[in-house]
Amino acid sequence: MKYETQKIALAYFAVAMALFAIQVSAGLLAGWVYVSPNTLSELLPFNIIRMLHSNSLVVWLITGFMGAAYFLIPEESEREIHSPTLAYLQLLILVVGTLGAVVTYVFDLFHGHWLLGMEGREFIEQPVWVKVGIVVAALIFLYNVTMTVLAGKKTAITNILLLGLWGLALLFLFSFYNPGNLSLDKQFWWYIVHLWVEGVWELIMASILAYLMLKLTGVDREVVEKWLYVIVALALFSGILGTGHHYYWIGTPGYWQWIGSIFSSLEVVPFFAMMAFAFVMVWKGRRDHPNKAALLWSLGCATLAFFGAGVWGFLHTLHGVNYYTHGTQITAAHGHLAFYGAYVSLNLAIFTYAMPILLNRDPYNQVLNMGSFWLMSGGVVFMTFALTFAGTVQTHLQRVLGENFMDVQDQLAIFYWMRFGAGIAVVLGALLFIYAVAVPRKEIIEPGAAETPAE
Amino acid sequence: MPALSNRLIAAWAWLAGLGGLAALIAAGVGQGVPRRAAGAAILVLAVLKARVILARYLDLDRARAWLSGFGWAVTLWAALVLGLYLV
Amino acid sequence: MSDAASGSALDDLPGELLMWVLIVSELLVFGAGLVAFMAVRLTDPAGFAAAQDHLFRAGAALNTMVLVSSGFLAAQALRWREAGARGAARWALVAAAALGVVFLIIKGAEYAAKSADGIGWDTHAFFTFYYLLTGFHAAHVVAGVVLLMLVAWRDAVANIQAVAMFWHMVDLVWVLLYPVIYLLA
Repeated sequence: MKYETQKIALAYFAVAMALFAIQVSAGLLAGWVYVSPNTLSELLPFNIIRMLHSNSLVVWLITGFMGAAYFLIPEESEREIHSPTLAYLQLLILVVGTLGAVVTYVFDLFHGHWLLGMEGREFIEQPVWVKVGIVVAALIFLYNVTMTVLAGKKTAITNILLLGLWGLALLFLFSFYNPGNLSLDKQFWWYIVHLWVEGVWELIMASILAYLMLKLTGVDREVVEKWLYVIVALALFSGILGTGHHYYWIGTPGYWQWIGSIFSSLEVVPFFAMMAFAFVMVWKGRRDHPNKAALLWSLGCATLAFFGAGVWGFLHTLHGVNYYTHGTQITAAHGHLAFYGAYVSLNLAIFTYAMPILLNRDPYNQVLNMGSFWLMSGGVVFMTFALTFAGTVQTHLQRVLGENFMDVQDQLAIFYWMRFGAGIAVVLGALLFIYAVAVPRKEIIEPGAAETPAE
Repeated sequence: MPALSNRLIAAWAWLAGLGGLAALIAAGVGQGVPRRAAGAAILVLAVLKARVILARYLDLDRARAWLSGFGWAVTLWAALVLGLYLV
Repeated sequence: MSDAASGSALDDLPGELLMWVLIVSELLVFGAGLVAFMAVRLTDPAGFAAAQDHLFRAGAALNTMVLVSSGFLAAQALRWREAGARGAARWALVAAAALGVVFLIIKGAEYAAKSADGIGWDTHAFFTFYYLLTGFHAAHVVAGVVLLMLVAWRDAVANIQAVAMFWHMVDLVWVLLYPVIYLLA
């Protein structure tokens, strides 16, 4: 660790991993409700479990991104972080907000209250006071990292990272606009949900991946930057108007069907470019970095993002297809692999890379960490296939043959059991990962002596 | 005024000529020009115009491999459009 | 390292790599849009033919001339700037932008005539594609006019080259779009 303030990242990563554990546990519980629908139906209804699952996912991913920014910005701009105090204050606000949201959801406190009550809009259910807290924390964060970058060296990686983080924060402001018209509500809602994960988050992903490639493979910065710019251009070109693929059936004009179909089909291209980038860098790189697990996560991230976000997204993005598959388990299959591949794996890659440096250790527990990669990834991939088959059957029975929703659900039970099994593997993998990066052991892989990462 | 580039003037003349020819063929469809042959001719002219722009305006003359790559892509696209037109 | 494998082929491309990424992306979008247009046409060939008869073909043919002439001026401006003739290059860029405005006036007249006839984007599938594709193209013309004026002012060679490439892309899209939408009867 070259800079003292990189240490801030440790607190962020710790919070992120704790929330990660909560997120997958809530997911497992939700998966159990699918096979045994009355579980906790009075105490903790399914919609609340699902909210905990999706909200904690988003929060821990963002906390991880922020930690990653605090970790890599000092090194890139060759400056200490502007104010460590503000960084910790910001984390405190995020933690309080998160706990507040969880308590509000679980006990449904202040039902209907404009400031304190849950807002009820999918993924942005947070009470208004929590949203304000998020904005304040985001402002503190942006001030802190922007001041650091402005005072220091500006690299393509920090420029793109900041662009992505500023976009993330500014787009969240749409969560304060809540039109009474349901079509308009959804139209603006997607400015957050879509333009995050298929827009600015891709910039964050590309820049963090570029940083990892730079460190792990030793390829020239010039080469990495060229790729980075191309990937970012492709992501924005396809992603912004790709928002149209959410506007097929919400009451927006019909031309969105063509805009959405055409632009979102191209969204696969930046993900392909990221995968190509990662593998080409490893292939060209001369450095034999001892942290093999970080490399495995990086390559896994690029690959699974391409399949989850790119291929599985394309499967149901054309409006002619989506007319039948909309809102079926196909969507769930895509959502799981896309988030896992693109953003979970990315965070776990930077954790794996940074944690030994932050704790001032050699990269311990490579084998355990790599084992957790295969366990978790295997689980999510199996889950994706199970849900894809479930969605295909569901589409046919429900949308083509016109059977009743609940009758169809009964026929999907086998797939939901398989998904639950896959969920157990994911939770175990997640716990194994946390153990492997947090608890040291006397097991070091010598540079060059170890096996090459599986590809 | 400094000298004009002859290569660019030639490119402009080709584009104007090919564009005019396509318009004439299309206008002739009502007056005895067979519709299907006209469609094929119009698309061939479009591919030729695209090639002129790629080669001269966008300077792909200097990168022949890329010129032929783009040329093939545009040709295949035109073939697809023609196929959809003729079925 | 960049020279060996992946670098060399890309380095052959004249001009900024990112502009080529943009050109390819735009070609993919318009290419896919035009193929979709032709595919949807199969569901109602008679309706498409009847709708197409409402278009103002002579205006579109004239616009082809306007646009390829404007492209010529932009290409010539780059040559002149490279040869050090800054004044001439600036005037050529301004003239190219002016022709872009002419294109937009003719296009605007076309849209106004449609509107006067009570034709909108949802009148028929033909017009949905017509407005989407020509409207999206016209939006690029607007952007191109602004950019041409910008580089007539800030006239570094690299700036002029990048904008000229953008403008040629707009040209290229038009020579593919115009025949499919206006001419294939």
